[in-house]
Amino acid sequence: MRVVAAEFRKLLTLPSALVAIGFTVAAMPGLAAQTASQIAARLDAGGPEVVGTVSTLNVGFYLVPFAVIGPIVLGIVLAGSEYTRGNRDTDGGRQITASLTAVPARGTLLMAKASVLVVLSGVLAAVVVPATIWLTQTVLGEHGHTWDELAGTLGWRVAGAVAYWVLMSLLAFAVTLVARSGIVPMIFFVVNSSMVSFSFLLTRATPLAKYLPDVAGTQMFSPDYPAEGMLGPVPGGLVMLAWTAGLLAVAALVLTRRDA
Amino acid sequence: MRRPARDGHPGPVIEFIGLTKRHGRKLAVDDVSFTVCPGRVTGFLGPNGAGKSSTLRILLGLDFADAGTALVGGRPYREIRNPLRTVGSLLDGSGAHRSRSARAHLTWLACSNGIPRSRVGEVLDVVGLADVAGRRVSTYSLGMGRRLGLAAALLGEPEVLVLDEPVNGLDPVGIRWIRGFLRAYAAEGRTVLLSSHLMGETAETADDLVVINAGRIVTRGSVQEVVGGHASLEESFFALTEGLSR
Repeated sequence: MRVVAAEFRKLLTLPSALVAIGFTVAAMPGLAAQTASQIAARLDAGGPEVVGTVSTLNVGFYLVPFAVIGPIVLGIVLAGSEYTRGNRDTDGGRQITASLTAVPARGTLLMAKASVLVVLSGVLAAVVVPATIWLTQTVLGEHGHTWDELAGTLGWRVAGAVAYWVLMSLLAFAVTLVARSGIVPMIFFVVNSSMVSFSFLLTRATPLAKYLPDVAGTQMFSPDYPAEGMLGPVPGGLVMLAWTAGLLAVAALVLTRRDA
Repeated sequence: MRRPARDGHPGPVIEFIGLTKRHGRKLAVDDVSFTVCPGRVTGFLGPNGAGKSSTLRILLGLDFADAGTALVGGRPYREIRNPLRTVGSLLDGSGAHRSRSARAHLTWLACSNGIPRSRVGEVLDVVGLADVAGRRVSTYSLGMGRRLGLAAALLGEPEVLVLDEPVNGLDPVGIRWIRGFLRAYAAEGRTVLLSSHLMGETAETADDLVVINAGRIVTRGSVQEVVGGHASLEESFFALTEGLSR
């Protein structure tokens, strides 16, 4: 428990972690509210209620696969900060030295870090995703939906989105821990979530792409994934969980066997 | 912590037994064995790249030995519960993330080992960083980073101090201060092992010396014994190592 408390303190006193949390809390509701007000304005002018793939129902929720960048960055920072070198001239050390002299049981350290991440990204998702839905419906005003309608369409998908954020952050954490640097994972995961989804492109090339962790995991919440023959929400979630467990196991194996 | 030997004198606190470590094809530590006793400052002396840091990293459970063991109080470091309360250590750098403040760094360390929060302020005072404790570590000079590392080592009021090149980057006042500090620490019956490549400085601070070169222990004993008939420790060191490296 001490180790978990220490890891919480460690992560929450890192400016980059606070930026990631702030981004998640601000960006998703902010962008969603903006889109909702655009849709509301269009509807007021007599336009269609669907803009592209965004409707009055899923406005806000469509940002789940983008705003996951926040939890992903948290996972990367949690692992990468251990291996960041200090100023070369004044302090060439890395935090992993301090972490492992304080907590030499490496399995314990890994479990503590993973627990912190599960709690933080889980709470972030459980707060930000419903708050965004509420905010967009408030902005839509008379064009919005009743809670019954929303629960019917989104309902379990909100829980799926929470699971997706938690698992994505753990995946990013495990990959960064093995790589011992956050730079490459940061570029890959952020680009994959925001600009070009490499895994989505792969669904065009091979049906096997449906087993990629993010493609499979997206089925837990996406009402309209733009590809054919995808897994169902539960099998998709299980496939993503298996990827996460596997990569965490690799990270544990590597961490307990290599020199710090 | 101190294990009484049969004759009633305290036994060794740190033991290296046949320690061997390879980095790739290079033998960084070659069958190193020595002990460190309480109540004395032991200097671990050798040129850069001689294997000092590798030896200390294995002692602290950071790196794995290819052969042999290193024990603190008869146990491997990894088996010590809340190790910061038994062994304080300082390795390369302060170990603090550069965007964290010194106070935040020491606070999570204290938290992880169940050390009272009040110790954070105390050690910051001891090393003279209290005024800058809220500043990011990236703004620190080399000397301030070393002081922060030392503060972290002292946090758990440990019986054993293991310090790798502690005077690196300290100004003459800092060096004089740390010398006095370590001597007083050992005088309380605690154990101090410090590595250095600075022979004159180490001769001033240490009671016992262990000299390492190219991964092998070349000599050990009290400072007087190691200096022997030579004019200085430096003379003695080169006499000991030059023959070996040819």
